[in-house]
Amino acid sequence: MTPKSDRPRRIHVIQGQYKVSDDPDAVLATVLGSCVAACLRDSEAGVGGMNHFLLPGDHGASHNGEAERYGVHLMELLVNGLLKSGARRERLEGKLFGGAKMMEGLSDIGAKNAAFAKHFLNNEGIRIVAEHLGGTHGRRVEYCPVSGRARQSLLSGQMTVTLPQPASVPKLPAAGTVELF
Amino acid sequence: MSVVAQMRVLIVDDTSTSRMLLRDGLEALGVRNIFFASDGEQAVQFMMKTPAHLVISDFNMPKLDGLGLLRAIRGYAPTKRVPFIMLTGRDDRALLENAIKLGVNNYLTKPFTVAALKKALEAIIGRLS
Repeated sequence: MTPKSDRPRRIHVIQGQYKVSDDPDAVLATVLGSCVAACLRDSEAGVGGMNHFLLPGDHGASHNGEAERYGVHLMELLVNGLLKSGARRERLEGKLFGGAKMMEGLSDIGAKNAAFAKHFLNNEGIRIVAEHLGGTHGRRVEYCPVSGRARQSLLSGQMTVTLPQPASVPKLPAAGTVELF
Repeated sequence: MSVVAQMRVLIVDDTSTSRMLLRDGLEALGVRNIFFASDGEQAVQFMMKTPAHLVISDFNMPKLDGLGLLRAIRGYAPTKRVPFIMLTGRDDRALLENAIKLGVNNYLTKPFTVAALKKALEAIIGRLS
């Protein structure tokens, strides 16, 4: 048995990237604004991963489904990475984060990213077990690819989305680290 | 009726969203007869029964990948000369070299544009209006 280290191994996932890991000590971390991170996992195979994407905006790229093709490509890279590491497509489950509306008055690209990610997972039959999308503030997200535990902190200001939670749990602070799922 | 409207195209990809996007792209170029397979094995079955005029296939697939499918199609007399376009990732140079050795006709790097799809199609069937 591999000895468990004291400190988690943080792996940063930047925009346009994806990371897959079967290390129980790994924590995949990213910071999101209007981007979305899809966190997928096969609990039986003990492997999970995260991507971080932003669909191209309205300047021509949305014609002929090109923005969508770009998003599908990044989702496929993550799914293929998981399959190569022993995951099975039918066992994958997903958590989605991000898609905030960062700038008032501009088109809501965050909502488009979020809608795309949900559409993709539904279309591919990948169960969405948790999501925290929208709002007007950035998020810092940490995801343990093996346990599937996710943690997010809002970057600043008031949170504009409401999380469904048991009545006994105290209200979330306006900003700070909260373990969600 | 134009050549492109009459041709039968088989799309092979294990990601259903990708199959739909490729279908939309082909329809925008005038292709009317589009068929689907979600892995190489299904595609081989299809090609043995009713060969398509063109195969556009992803590489990464379960059961039989794009190279395996290309090998099977080139090794079966009735489909030996069917044009084959491979969909690849950006850094799949080794895959491309193997595909060229096996007789691939063209390739498209994901994510591709409709303009790139049109160019790959034109290289096979001639200029589209």
